[in-house]
Amino acid sequence: MIPQILITGMGIVTGLGIGKTNTLQALRQKQTGIGKVHYLQTIHKEFPVGEVPLTNEQIFQLLDIEPEKIYTRTALLGRIALKEALQEANITKKRPGKIAFISGTTVGGMDKSEQYYTDFLSNNSKNEYIETHDCGATTNLIAAEYNGVFDMMTTLSTACSSAANAIILGANLIKTGKVDVAVVGGSECLSKFHFNGFNTLMILDKQPCRPFDKTRAGLNLGEGAAYLVLESEESVKEREITPICKLSGYANTCDAHHQTASSPDGEGAYLAMTKSLKQSNLQSKDIDYINAHGTGTQNNDETEEIAIMRVFGDNVPHISSTKSFTGHTTSAAGSVESVISILALQYNFIPVNLNFSQPMNERSFIPATQSEPTRTLKHVLTNSFGFGGNDSACIFSRID
Amino acid sequence: MGIFIHSIAQISNQEPFSDKWFSEPIIYNERYVRSIEPDFSTYISPMITRRMGKIIKRALATALHITKQTGIDNPDAIITGTGLGCIEHTEKFIAAMLENNEELLPPTYFMQSTHNTISSQIAIHLKCNGYNNTYSHRGTSFDSALFDACIQFELGEIHTAMVNGHDELTPNYFLLLDKIGYWKEGQITEQRLREGNTRGSFAGECSVSFMLGNSLRPDSICQLKGMELLYQPTKEQLTNAVDSLLQKNNLTRNDIDVLVTGVNGDRENDVIYREMHSSIFPRKPMVWYKHIFGESYTSSGLGLYAAATILQKAFIPQSLLYNACTEEITIPKNILVYNHFQDKDHSLTLLSSCLD
Repeated sequence: MIPQILITGMGIVTGLGIGKTNTLQALRQKQTGIGKVHYLQTIHKEFPVGEVPLTNEQIFQLLDIEPEKIYTRTALLGRIALKEALQEANITKKRPGKIAFISGTTVGGMDKSEQYYTDFLSNNSKNEYIETHDCGATTNLIAAEYNGVFDMMTTLSTACSSAANAIILGANLIKTGKVDVAVVGGSECLSKFHFNGFNTLMILDKQPCRPFDKTRAGLNLGEGAAYLVLESEESVKEREITPICKLSGYANTCDAHHQTASSPDGEGAYLAMTKSLKQSNLQSKDIDYINAHGTGTQNNDETEEIAIMRVFGDNVPHISSTKSFTGHTTSAAGSVESVISILALQYNFIPVNLNFSQPMNERSFIPATQSEPTRTLKHVLTNSFGFGGNDSACIFSRID
Repeated sequence: MGIFIHSIAQISNQEPFSDKWFSEPIIYNERYVRSIEPDFSTYISPMITRRMGKIIKRALATALHITKQTGIDNPDAIITGTGLGCIEHTEKFIAAMLENNEELLPPTYFMQSTHNTISSQIAIHLKCNGYNNTYSHRGTSFDSALFDACIQFELGEIHTAMVNGHDELTPNYFLLLDKIGYWKEGQITEQRLREGNTRGSFAGECSVSFMLGNSLRPDSICQLKGMELLYQPTKEQLTNAVDSLLQKNNLTRNDIDVLVTGVNGDRENDVIYREMHSSIFPRKPMVWYKHIFGESYTSSGLGLYAAATILQKAFIPQSLLYNACTEEITIPKNILVYNHFQDKDHSLTLLSSCLD
């Protein structure tokens, strides 16, 4: 008997706002969180972004953090989402049983490093930010408030699938009985570094992104954080808490094709989806909604479609890319889109694919533009693909 | 079923791909020593490595070395730990971005800046579509990667795994970490590191690859019996974790022949190891390795390599002994590798010789 992985709490912050309620409302009202650059210090104002509508100072106030504390934006966003997730799961202090905190990031403390890089090298005025640069330091900072709560901690960094791989590790820790609860997800703020990096790859769109549309011309970057509380059945029973849904399958594979482009037949994506279906004992026809990776770039959407058609044939279920709402939240995307997929499952609606007007080709699937599902959502699949072909997929299911 | 280490390859400040450090370590007095580069063209065409950063070249070389040694050229999992990732390319991109005010930037540095470039470049080279992961968690980055491999074996998902630990240290990053007390002032001597009564350590780089499998082979070096990761454990929790790891493997404290530690000469770092040694394994030999290889975020990978080499060669050279142990040293069969980073993240790894 394979142990069940139950979800007992979620927290999220993106361009759509703080928390699940705001996220849900924006998704249902089809209001995007993507707009003009407001907070990021860049000369490239021509590219729209999905920014969390708060300054760092406002987040300090929101979380009641002492002003002299050292924080990076990725850590601050992470703290907002972690707080909400732990509150919902009713985990606020040390309790019996083992708890892991697994977070994904790639940008880490880059927002401060790029701001103070010259100071780091030439004077000693910003030395306190040297040790907030790396990914692991970010995870430690996000969890800093919860003294004694976590028994183990680590950081995934597989670019845009980091948070999905954090979910997978957390689930495996529960399956092997190493922990009872795993708080998993990712956090990533916008940085000039990766904003310019994506620009050099010429995959940023100056218009709002149009995933799976014939006229798509690239992605919009976003920022955010999201965490899920995964829990074993025994722990759920013991704590008498009502689970939201379950994680019924997942897979991590590698496209092994190119550093920044996916293979023509979408092999990595295909393997991630088929393996997660197999693990969940489900068939493709059982999936009611796919939250696609759908960045809006020529290459991703084309190869993701090929991979999806290989798995689902002509019977592709409701499908959308919610990056049209949040922008591409990179390392946080896996958990941001998992939370969105679970909200869809919980409230039985399809988050639409904004800005869609014409299919990529005559055989293409048509992404969802209506929120009303044709049947009650029972199983939802979410894809997360990263640079270097780090492809992962997760399936969440309603609890019968 | 067990987990076996079949092959290990390293590039560090010691002779690359060699165990020569075990008997004749190269001794340095500088505070910052970069790795000795092998002839990469033996492993990979210069046409391919031309645009690669140091860390990627080293990673491909150690990966290809162990695939060649074992004949396992399509491992079921490729998992890498790296504290700083591709920091050389990251710095180059930041510098160009600041200098050119975000204009006319070349894409290459950015493309190869993400931490997962290492695992994915290995996968692309070997055409491995299997499990592929990257951990970046400070001083337990490598330990996290190894722990993930153990879980994959335990779940029956894989039969073979390549686990890597890679960190390069650029001159700029050395300087940054120097400003916040990572490195000792003045000349490095073994005595100063051993005394450990001042701040800081000796800076190094690390590239190490392990090939693991779940069946014993004639070339297997040792067994990996179990692992534990802990966050901010109390002394009691740490002791319980040691005892429970031993118990799961039908061992007692007395069965542990050697404690391998990450003692690095830094006052605050070393006291944690000394306390653990004196409270749990007081009469056992305590081994260190960072005085030879230097400190980096993934140097614990070289600690595992040192432990495995002790089991393979069945003795502890004087150069690796940290304490004057009171017990006569027998042929080592079971080794506990203990690592912590800033007393936050801790790891325990139990290794045993193949014959038991």
